[in-house]
Amino acid sequence: MTSRAAPMTVVGLRLGLLALFLAIWEVAGRMVNPLLGVPPSAVLPSLRDLLLLRSYPDLPASLLLTIREIGAAYALAVAAGLGCGFMLGMHRLVGRAWGPMLAALYAVPAVVWYPSLMLFFGLDAASKIAFGFLLGFFPIALAVLAGIRQVNPQLVVVARAYGAGTVTVFRRVMLPAMLVGGLRTGLALSVIGVVVGEILGSKAGMGALINHAYGLLRTGDYVALVLVTLALVVGSDVLASLLERRARRWTE
Amino acid sequence: MSARPELITIEGVTKRYLTSSGPVEALHHVSLSVEEGAFCTLIGPSGCGKSTLLGMLGGLVTPDQGRVLVDGRPVTGPDPRRAATVFQEAGLFPWRTALQNVEFGLELQGVPAERRRRTASELLGPLGLSGFAEKYPRELSGGMKQRVAIGRALALDAKILLMDEPFGALDEQTRVLMGEWLLDIWRRTRKTVIFVTHSLHEALFLSTRVAVMTARPGRIKAALDLAMEYPRSMESSEMVALRAKLWSEIREESLRAMR
Repeated sequence: MTSRAAPMTVVGLRLGLLALFLAIWEVAGRMVNPLLGVPPSAVLPSLRDLLLLRSYPDLPASLLLTIREIGAAYALAVAAGLGCGFMLGMHRLVGRAWGPMLAALYAVPAVVWYPSLMLFFGLDAASKIAFGFLLGFFPIALAVLAGIRQVNPQLVVVARAYGAGTVTVFRRVMLPAMLVGGLRTGLALSVIGVVVGEILGSKAGMGALINHAYGLLRTGDYVALVLVTLALVVGSDVLASLLERRARRWTE
Repeated sequence: MSARPELITIEGVTKRYLTSSGPVEALHHVSLSVEEGAFCTLIGPSGCGKSTLLGMLGGLVTPDQGRVLVDGRPVTGPDPRRAATVFQEAGLFPWRTALQNVEFGLELQGVPAERRRRTASELLGPLGLSGFAEKYPRELSGGMKQRVAIGRALALDAKILLMDEPFGALDEQTRVLMGEWLLDIWRRTRKTVIFVTHSLHEALFLSTRVAVMTARPGRIKAALDLAMEYPRSMESSEMVALRAKLWSEIREESLRAMR
């Protein structure tokens, strides 16, 4: 068990590492060509200009677009991941035949598919959603599959004895057992998929702004945009972890 | 015999299972009737079909021949309003608290949240789980888990309680205490209990009627009525004689099962 002082110590250690990192960045940033290296002290004005919508007035629209792409990609990944994992998990033969193929596909670096996704879906939001979906789908489907295989068969017997039909067994027994893990990893990967997709080629969204700043060597703006994107990614993971902890209180 | 009506009638049920080494007959023409309010124990060697018979009463197993009547109506599937089951493994849902586990059956029956919460809360006291409503199964001891499982069955308020070696996984001391506790619950709720066990002690200490089953294929070899008052002393001469009689019946079957 951790003592009461421990959380403060943990926070202190985290802030310490952050301070050390910023200090090294500051020193290193001042030594290189100012077009390439930007110390944190120079990023702050850029960040202020960005947040006050002076440098990129379309920041809110871009952020919203990226969030919407993430939302769409994740919703599709959850629906397909649950459906596919459930199908493979409930039918033993199908699971034995196709489960290993799913795991093998998951091992392929997904970015190799991106050029073909752009060919199919174009430069707009659809290809980013497809890429985010592709990244998010596998961990969810595989976690659901593993969850179904680990459900205690005794719980299914109990539910049936207490009057549950197939649908109720799925909802009350399979679903809670399946939702352990997978969903959070899936969200993190969907976010990565959308952002990477935007950076690899797009006309709008956070990735497009980052490309723009970077292409014009507006390094301060570029770093500020990366920080905003970072906040989005971390924020989504914190949200997911809170939800997960609430849903999994029984396992801790 | 008795003036009380028969609540459960089992008429000539037979059940065969297909295994990799060919068909196995688990039950062969088993007939048994149990009157309302009885505590009937099914005892016999391992694999004699006790659990299969209990499964038929609970509607989880369909007989190949014969029929099972509860309250005059044939059993066609699980009907928790007529009979509630407790299994050897508690089978609690790990993501539900003790209270939510007790509520499970009522929830499936669509009982409004407030009412089922009240019913379940009132049960926790007699279950000896007053301070444990919000605990998850992993935080409970083996005996407590089994009491939650019994609470889940009692909450349904069915006339019949089907218990498949409910204390089989507990240690000896807990087992004896749980037996005393169950007796108390049974006498207060006046339910009809069908209780599967391996334990002679449990059968003699708890039941009003003991049915001894044969080695596979299972049949009812003998049925004894036990009229002694509760709580029973295992040392009384009557009990010692009954124990010897019951043991001689079971011993023969257990030897056959071992061959």
